[in-house]
Amino acid sequence: MEKPKKKQVLLFHCVEAEELALKVAAQSDLIQLQSINWRSFDDGFPNLFINNAQDIRGHHVAFLASFSSPAVIFEQLSVIYALPRLFTASFTLVLPFFPTGSFERMEEEGDVATAFTLARMLSSVPISRGGPTSLVVYDIHALQERFYFGDTLLPLFETGIPLLKQRLHQLPESDKIVVAFPDDGAWKRFHKLLDHFPMVVCTKVREGDKRIVRLKEGDCAGCHVVIVDDLVQSGGTLIECQKVLAAHGAAKVSAYVTHAVFPKRSWERFLHKNDGVHLLLDNGFVPTYCESHRQQSSF
Amino acid sequence: MSAVSPSPSILLTSTKPSNETHKTIIIPFIKKPTIPTIQCEFRSFENNSSSYQNLIADSSNRIHIIFKPPSSSPLTTASSMDLSIKHSKRVCLFYCSEMKDLAERIASASDSIELRGITWRTFEDGFPNLFISNAHGIRGQRVAFLASFSSPGVIFEQLSIIYALPKLFVSSFTLVLPFFPTGTFERMEEEGDVATAFTLARILSNIPISRGGPTSLVIFDIHALQVCLKSSFVTVLSCVFIFVFVFVILIFAKYYRFNGFVLQERFYFGDNILPCFESGIPLLLNRLQKLPDSDNIAIAFPDDGAWKRFHKQLQHFPTIVCIKVREGDQRIVRLKEGDPKGRHVVIVDDLVQSGGTLLECQKVLANHGATKISAYVTHGIFPNSTWERFKHDAGGNPENGMTYFWITDSCPRTVKQVENKSPFEILSLAAPIAAALQV
Repeated sequence: MEKPKKKQVLLFHCVEAEELALKVAAQSDLIQLQSINWRSFDDGFPNLFINNAQDIRGHHVAFLASFSSPAVIFEQLSVIYALPRLFTASFTLVLPFFPTGSFERMEEEGDVATAFTLARMLSSVPISRGGPTSLVVYDIHALQERFYFGDTLLPLFETGIPLLKQRLHQLPESDKIVVAFPDDGAWKRFHKLLDHFPMVVCTKVREGDKRIVRLKEGDCAGCHVVIVDDLVQSGGTLIECQKVLAAHGAAKVSAYVTHAVFPKRSWERFLHKNDGVHLLLDNGFVPTYCESHRQQSSF
Repeated sequence: MSAVSPSPSILLTSTKPSNETHKTIIIPFIKKPTIPTIQCEFRSFENNSSSYQNLIADSSNRIHIIFKPPSSSPLTTASSMDLSIKHSKRVCLFYCSEMKDLAERIASASDSIELRGITWRTFEDGFPNLFISNAHGIRGQRVAFLASFSSPGVIFEQLSIIYALPKLFVSSFTLVLPFFPTGTFERMEEEGDVATAFTLARILSNIPISRGGPTSLVIFDIHALQVCLKSSFVTVLSCVFIFVFVFVILIFAKYYRFNGFVLQERFYFGDNILPCFESGIPLLLNRLQKLPDSDNIAIAFPDDGAWKRFHKQLQHFPTIVCIKVREGDQRIVRLKEGDPKGRHVVIVDDLVQSGGTLLECQKVLANHGATKISAYVTHGIFPNSTWERFKHDAGGNPENGMTYFWITDSCPRTVKQVENKSPFEILSLAAPIAAALQV
C-alpha cells in the first residue's frame, strides 16, 4: 500500500513565536516559512498584510500562534480568520499553549470561564477547502477542555512527554529515575505515557487552615526524582513537592513542565542553588519568557 | 461643558411632528457585485397605541418578522413620551470599566434600567479573572452589556462576559457597542489585506443565543465598509420577491422611520445576532435647534460617503458637499456643491481620527465665506491627543478655530480628555441607548 504523499506546508507565525517557527522550519524541507506584515493603525488596531497571498492558493497552510496575553489575541485572530479563506488546501492552527485553562473552576454561578471564551473564538475559524481547521495543542490543562470546541474545529491534542523521555534516557543515571506527580490531576494526565518508570504521587492535604503537600504513594529514596506536570505558574507547588521529596530521601530532584508560564519572573526562584531544583523546560512553548532565562543555568 | 440629555424625551427620531404622513422608504439599490438585500425598520403609531414591526431580510433569505402587541412600549417620538414610562421593561445593565460614566447616565435616563456589577481582576499571567455578581438574580431578566473596544487589549475580557451572560438564563440579551472600531481604514484592495472589521463581526456573531433568541447588537453610526461580495442569481431573485413583499407591507404602514444603514455591514454579521444600527444625528438636531442662529445653519459633508450616510436625516438644512480631488501627487479638498457664504456651517461625519480631513474642510469652507464653522462626529477617536489641533473660535476666525465641536460619549477615553475644553461639547448617547434597550 502506498504511503500518503508528504505534504508541503507553508508556515506563518506570530511575532513572538518567530524563534520556534524557525526551528520548526529547520526540521523539515517540506516546511517553508512565510511572512506577515504586522503593523498597527494610529488608533491601536492592527494593520495586517499577508504577503504572497495569491501564492498560497492550493497549498497546505499552518499558523503558529501564541496567546501569551489578551492584548495579542486580536491581531493573531484576524490572521487566523483570514488565512483559510485564501483558497488554501487546508489550514492548521498550532497553538502549543492553550492559556486560561488553569485557574478556572466554575465553582459558582457568576464565575466566568475564560477558557470557554477562547475555545469559542477558535471554534469560529472558517473552514477551508480542506474542511475544518485542525487545532494542535500541547498538554491542554483540563481534560474537559477538549469538549469546549465545536464541530467546526478538529482539535489534535499532543504532548511534550516524548521529549522528556528522550532527555531522561540521555542522563547518566537513567536507570535510577523516579517520576513524581504533584497531584492526582498530573497523574491522570501522564501516568500512561511514563509507566515504565517507578512513580511517586503527591497530594495536597488540609491541615487546619493550610493545605500542605504530602507524599501519597511511591518511594523515592536514593533516586533522581523528576517532577512532571503540564505547566508551572509561579512555581509554588513545585517547590513544595521538592521539599517533600527531599525529606523522603531523594538524591536529586528535577522537574519537567511543558509550559513555563512564570508570571512576573517567578522563574528566578529556580536558579541553581546547591540543593535547588534542576528544571528541564520546553522553552519553545511560552516564548515571552524564553529570552530572559535562557542564559541562566539550571534551565 | 457637557451636554447630557436631560430627559427621556430626547430620543432617537427626527424632530418631525408625529402626525406627518408617511414618507417613502427608499429600498436600496441592487448594485453589482453586492448581494442585494433589504433591511428596513418601521414603526407605526396610531392613536396613542403603537405597534412595532421589524422586517429583516438577511443574506440567507430568511425573513424575521417580529410583531409586538400595541400595548408594548413605543420606541420614540416626543409625542408619545407620556407612554414611554408605561409598560417599560426592566433591564439589568452591565458595563465595562471604561464605560462606567455612560452607564450611570443611561441608568439615570430611565427608571427601568438597573446597573449591575462585575468584578474585573486579572490572574498573575495577565488573563482575566472575572466574576458576575448576583448571577442568580438576573435569571428571567432582560440583560444588556455596554461595551467599548477602544483597543485590542480590552476585547478579550469584555468578550468573556459577553459570551457568559446569555447563558445565565436571562430572558434576552442586548450588546450595546456604541462605536464599532476597525471599520475605518480597511479597504480590501488586494489579496492579503486582512479586514479586521470582519474579525470583530465574526467574534460578535458567535455570541450564544439566549432564551430571548439571538442577541441584539446596538451600534451607532457604523462606518461604511467597502467590500465587494459575490452575488448569485438565486439571491437576486429571492430579493426581488422580498422587495415586492416589503412594498406590500409598506402600503399598510402609517408611520415608520427609516433607520440609517449601509448594506454591506449587514453581511458581516451571522444569523445569530441582530444588528441594530442607530444614529447620533438626532442628538445633533436637538442641539442645533437650541442655537441662537439655528435658522442660519448649513450642513457640510466632507465627502460623498458622509453625504450618503446622513443627508436624509438632515435634509431640511441647506447642504454643502466637499470632495477630494487629485492634483498631481496630492489629494486636496474642494467644494463640490452648496454655498457656505454667510452661514454657520456644521461639518458632519461619523467619526474623526486625527482630524486631517476636518481641518482641510474647515479651510475650504472658510475660504468660501462661512462665518462660523462647527463640527459634529459621533465617534471622536483622536489617537495620540490629536484633538489638540482643534482650537476654539470665539468669533470671526472660522479658518483657525471652530465654534463648536460636538462628539458623543461613544469613545470614553477621548471624553475624559476633552470634556470642559472648548470647542468640545459632549452629546450623550444615554437617552438613545436607554430607548434602544426597550426594544
